[in-house]
Amino acid sequence: MSPDTVAVLGFVVLFGLMLLRVPVGMAMGLVGVSGYAYLSGGGPALKLIGLTSMRTVTDYQFGVIPMFLLMGAFVSTSGVSRELFRAANTFIGHRRGGLGLATIVSCGGFAAISGSSVATAATFSSVAYPEMRRYGYPKSFATGVIAAGGTLGAMLPPSTVLAVYGLITQQDIGKLFMAGIVPGIFAMLMYMLTITVITRVRPDFLPTAPKSSWTERKAGLRDVWAPLLLFVFVIGGLYGGVFTPTEAGGVGAGGAFVLGVLRGRLGKAEIRASLLQATRTAAAVFTVLIGALLFGYFLTITQVPQTVTEFLTSLGIGRYGVLALIMVMYLVLGCLMDAMAMIILTVPIIFPVVIQLGFDPIWFGVIIVMTVELGLIHPPVGMNVFVIKSVVQDVTFSAIFKGVLPFIATDMLRLIILIAFPVIALWLPSHM
Amino acid sequence: MDRIIDTIEAIAALFVGLVAADIFISVMLRRFFSLQIPDSYDFGRMLLGILIFWGIAATSYRGSHITVDLVWAQANSRWKRVIDVFATLVLLFVVTVQTYTLFDKVQSTYNDNVLTFDLRLPTWPFFAVAWIGDVSAVVLIAIRTWRLIFHPEDIHDARIDQEAGSR
Repeated sequence: MSPDTVAVLGFVVLFGLMLLRVPVGMAMGLVGVSGYAYLSGGGPALKLIGLTSMRTVTDYQFGVIPMFLLMGAFVSTSGVSRELFRAANTFIGHRRGGLGLATIVSCGGFAAISGSSVATAATFSSVAYPEMRRYGYPKSFATGVIAAGGTLGAMLPPSTVLAVYGLITQQDIGKLFMAGIVPGIFAMLMYMLTITVITRVRPDFLPTAPKSSWTERKAGLRDVWAPLLLFVFVIGGLYGGVFTPTEAGGVGAGGAFVLGVLRGRLGKAEIRASLLQATRTAAAVFTVLIGALLFGYFLTITQVPQTVTEFLTSLGIGRYGVLALIMVMYLVLGCLMDAMAMIILTVPIIFPVVIQLGFDPIWFGVIIVMTVELGLIHPPVGMNVFVIKSVVQDVTFSAIFKGVLPFIATDMLRLIILIAFPVIALWLPSHM
Repeated sequence: MDRIIDTIEAIAALFVGLVAADIFISVMLRRFFSLQIPDSYDFGRMLLGILIFWGIAATSYRGSHITVDLVWAQANSRWKRVIDVFATLVLLFVVTVQTYTLFDKVQSTYNDNVLTFDLRLPTWPFFAVAWIGDVSAVVLIAIRTWRLIFHPEDIHDARIDQEAGSR
C-alpha cells in the first residue's frame, strides 16, 4: 500500500475506533503506531511508544496543565462560584434581565480561574439556574445564558484548551493566554448586550429582582476579592515575565490552597476532592496528548499535512476562503466530539496550512478555540447543553437550544469581527 | 478491591499536590529570598511523570478518559455494554504495549546512570515508580474488563453514573 492509502485507511480506522468509544488518545496512539510500524517497521514504532510517553509526562512545560487544573479545582471547591454570582447579583441583578447579566459576569470570573467550559457550565447550572427560576426567568433563557456563559472558560486565561494548542503547535502559552483576555472580555460584553437587546425587544420576557443595599454589595465584594487578587497576581506575573506558564500554574495552585485554608473554605475533604479532580482531568488530557504525539509521527511519515496544505491552497478560494472552510469543518466536528479532542486531532494537520497562508499562529489559536467553543453550544449535540441537561432535570434539550440561539448569533458576529480585526487578540501579547 | 483503586487514585492525587508544592515553594524562595531548592526542576518534572501514569491508572478504571459518546449514547443498554467491553479491550491492549515499552526506558535510564542536575541523584527510581503506575493501569483495566463482562453492576463509570443521575 502507498503512504497515501495507509493515511486514508488510518483515518477511517481512527474514526471507527473513536465512534466505538475507544478513548481518543488511545485510538490516536494505536493508529499512529500501527501505521508507523507498517511503513517503517515494528522495532522503531515500539521504541516510539516508550520514548514519547515518558518524554511527554516528564516535560516540565506540560506541567502547566495539571497546575492550572489544580488551581481551578481548589477555587471551585472553595465555593467561589456562588460568591461571584452573589457579588455580581448585588450590583446588576435588579435590572431587567439582571440575573442573566450577573450569570455572564460571574461565569467570566469563574472561567478566569477554572479554565474549563464544561466545568463553568456545570457549576452555574446548580448556582445560577435555581436563582433565575426563583424570580420567574423562562427555563430556555436561563439555561441558554448558562450554556453561553460556560464557553467563556475556553477563552479567558488560564484556558486549558489554549494551553494544549500552545503545546501542540509550540507557541508561547503566556502569549496565548494574553491573546484570550480581550476577546474573552469582548465575548462577555456581547453576551450582556444580547440580553439587554432581548429585554428591550420583549420588555415583559424577563423580570427584575429586588435591588441590593450598599451593605450587601460591600459584603459581596468582600467574598470575592481574594480569588480575583490571585487571578491578577498569576496572570500579571505571567504577563510581566515574572513566571513561566508552569510556574504561574504552580503559584496559582499554591496560592488558591493557602487562600482557601486561611479563609476556612478548604477542609480535608475539599482538598482531597480538589486533588482527585485535578488528577483525573490531567490524566485524561495527557492521554490524549501522548496519543496525539504518536499520531503526529504517522502524519509526518505519510505527509498528510503537506497533502492537505497543497490541496487547500490549490482550491483558488483565497486565504479567507480556506479559513472559512476550516471553520466549517470545526463546526461540523463540534457535533461529534469535545473541544479538547477536536483541537488535538486536527491542529497538527491544519496548522501547517494556516502558517502557509500567512495567518498569525497566536491569533489563529484564539479563532480556532472560539470556533470549537461554538460547537459546544450549537445544535444538534453541543456538549455544554448536555452538561446542563445532566444537572438541570426539568428542561428539555430543545428548550436549551432555543435559549442559546441568540447567543450563537452573537458568537458568529464576534467571530467575524475578530477575523476582520486580529488586533483585538494580538494587541495585549504584542506588549509582552 | 475498591479500596485498592481508591488508594491508587489517592497516590496520584498526592503527587499532584507534591508537584504544586515543589513549584510554589521554589518560585517563592527564588523570587522573595533568592534561594533555590536543589533539583526543584528535575523533581518537578519527574513527579509530574509519576502523577500522570498513576492518574491514567485511576482514570482508565473510572472510565473518565476523553471519548466520543455519539454512538454509545444512542445505543440500548445491551449494545452499550458491548461497546464498553470492546473499548476497554482495546484500552487494555494499548496500555499493555505501552507498559512493556516503558520498561525499556526505565532500564536504559538505569544502565546509562542518568543523574539529576544539582544533587546528582539517580533518576531511574522515579522512572520506575512512574512505570509501576502504568503496571497498575494494566491491572485496573483488566479488572474493569472482567467486571464489565461478568459483574457490570460493580462498574462506576463516570458517564454511566452521570446518565443514571440525570434519569
